[in-house]
Amino acid sequence: MKTAAPHLTVSSVRMALTRWLVTIVLVILAVVTLYPLIFTIINSFKTRADYSADPLGFVTDITFENYLETFERMQVGRLLLNSIITTAGGLILSTVAALFIAYAVTKLKIKGGNYIFLFIIAMLVIPSQVIIYPLYETILDLGFGGTYQGLIFAYAAFGLPLGTYLLSAYFRAIPDELIEAARLDGAGDIRILFSVLLPISIPAIAALSILNFVWMWNDLLLPLVILGGSDKKTLMVGVALLSGQYDVSIPLISAGLIVALLPVIIVYMLFQRQILSGAIAGAVR
Amino acid sequence: MAELAHPATGAARTHAGAKRPWIRRDMLVAALFVLPGLALAILFKLVPLVRTVWLSLQETRGFEDPAFAGLANYRTMLDDPAVHDSFRNALIAFATLPVWIILPLVLAFLLFQKTPGWKFFRAAFFLPYMIAPIVVGIMFRQILAPDGPLNALLRTIGLAPLAIEWLNGPTSALLSLTAVALWSFFGLGVLTYLSGLSTVSEEVVEAAKLDGAGFWRLLFHIIMPLLKPVIGYWAVLCTSGILIWMFPLIYALTKGGPGTATVLPEFLVFTTTFQFLDRGLGAAIGMALFVFVALVSAFVVRRMYVEGAKPK
Repeated sequence: MKTAAPHLTVSSVRMALTRWLVTIVLVILAVVTLYPLIFTIINSFKTRADYSADPLGFVTDITFENYLETFERMQVGRLLLNSIITTAGGLILSTVAALFIAYAVTKLKIKGGNYIFLFIIAMLVIPSQVIIYPLYETILDLGFGGTYQGLIFAYAAFGLPLGTYLLSAYFRAIPDELIEAARLDGAGDIRILFSVLLPISIPAIAALSILNFVWMWNDLLLPLVILGGSDKKTLMVGVALLSGQYDVSIPLISAGLIVALLPVIIVYMLFQRQILSGAIAGAVR
Repeated sequence: MAELAHPATGAARTHAGAKRPWIRRDMLVAALFVLPGLALAILFKLVPLVRTVWLSLQETRGFEDPAFAGLANYRTMLDDPAVHDSFRNALIAFATLPVWIILPLVLAFLLFQKTPGWKFFRAAFFLPYMIAPIVVGIMFRQILAPDGPLNALLRTIGLAPLAIEWLNGPTSALLSLTAVALWSFFGLGVLTYLSGLSTVSEEVVEAAKLDGAGFWRLLFHIIMPLLKPVIGYWAVLCTSGILIWMFPLIYALTKGGPGTATVLPEFLVFTTTFQFLDRGLGAAIGMALFVFVALVSAFVVRRMYVEGAKPK
């Protein structure tokens, strides 16, 4: 042990150096990661003249003009409402459908339960980009063209495989005795699902809801195609269309971007722990 | 406990089997329970897929009624330079895959060693993934602009020749697009690897360190072999990401240009269908894309099924 002592000091100096080097690299990467956001926030508070005089500098006198103009031009209030309705609708429908399926394939001893499970998660291989026009046609045929329901059903269908997978995994870990006991007390399946399993599954449902919220809120292709031309378009479609207009200044579009991503940033700050632990499962849909 | 429970439920089943009406009621309940989900999956995924196959066999021009055309669209597709370009662009994007795989791994390994402030860095690295790709695209359109902050930085540190029109050169546009995509998704990779690393015992790492293994040797010879399944999973995700996550980024950054330099297959499906109104050809290109996506994501589904199916 004693002979190792000088080695230890040399290596501890080396270790301290590496520590610093590592920290510097990480800090640089963190700056690269955060800078675009900071740049956009700063620009959103600049006047047009301010921006063209010094596009990269700090904001000298803060203006809220851009936000006021964005709210008016993009009809932010309406778009926000549209995004909230479609995201909430898709989220709830997708979760409820997944709850029922997960209960059926894990807790009801049905034949072919595994096949139903496989069929649902196999739907992951069909991306929206491939089927986008026929999906739109199908929604039109069902009479949901230009309605919230059209997008809500599409969201629910695309969120279903992941929801079924996560909730089935969670239900499987719940012992069957719990259900047998509730059954002996005379509870039906609906009551078992909603008043026995649901309360225990809140963590899984919360994680799933956060994941679904993020992708449904952020999605562009589905709302663009299904609701793009109507006044029911979502915030992301509004931002995409606004950015394509020629008279839009960078400070103005920056304000639009901040408005569009603020809800997600708030959710991220509130639920960071759950998001960081649950995100890995949510990368597929 | 689980072993004890099984014979009990088995007995209950045979008992219920004796009374036929009970089985029917069970089946009815089960059917009602799986119905909403099955309806969603069939109506909004399977039916559109079948219709895509059918549409790809139709001749469609603008708003005229489609007519059956056999494999004509597929023949057109094989001769179409735009299609070739889009798949070639996808191949070039795939060439950057090693960076997608290694960069998050190195970062995750650094964070795993509980570098001071690792929680902050983890949160910061994941933030871009939370931001809508369309928003990311518009932000980077400004950052990569000829007089944007990136070029200003390059000029101040004396790298003026590198300050090019990032989104306007055929090669630089595609690489910029890929780099922005990497910016947007690498945080997910860091998290994926961190969860894999949490299964690696610290003793293994400590023992290797005592043997005098440096950072890179540790990473390549100890950590990477241990993380093989995680690396494979992440590689699969990145591959499907390059195929199907890029639409909003292309839409915001380049609209496919200059020329066809940044048209990837998924974007070509969109423009062919909605801009050139050739829905049959769009569906055919979609089917070509589907073959690749399905092959790649079948791995993900298999993994989920193996983990999630009821043990026999």
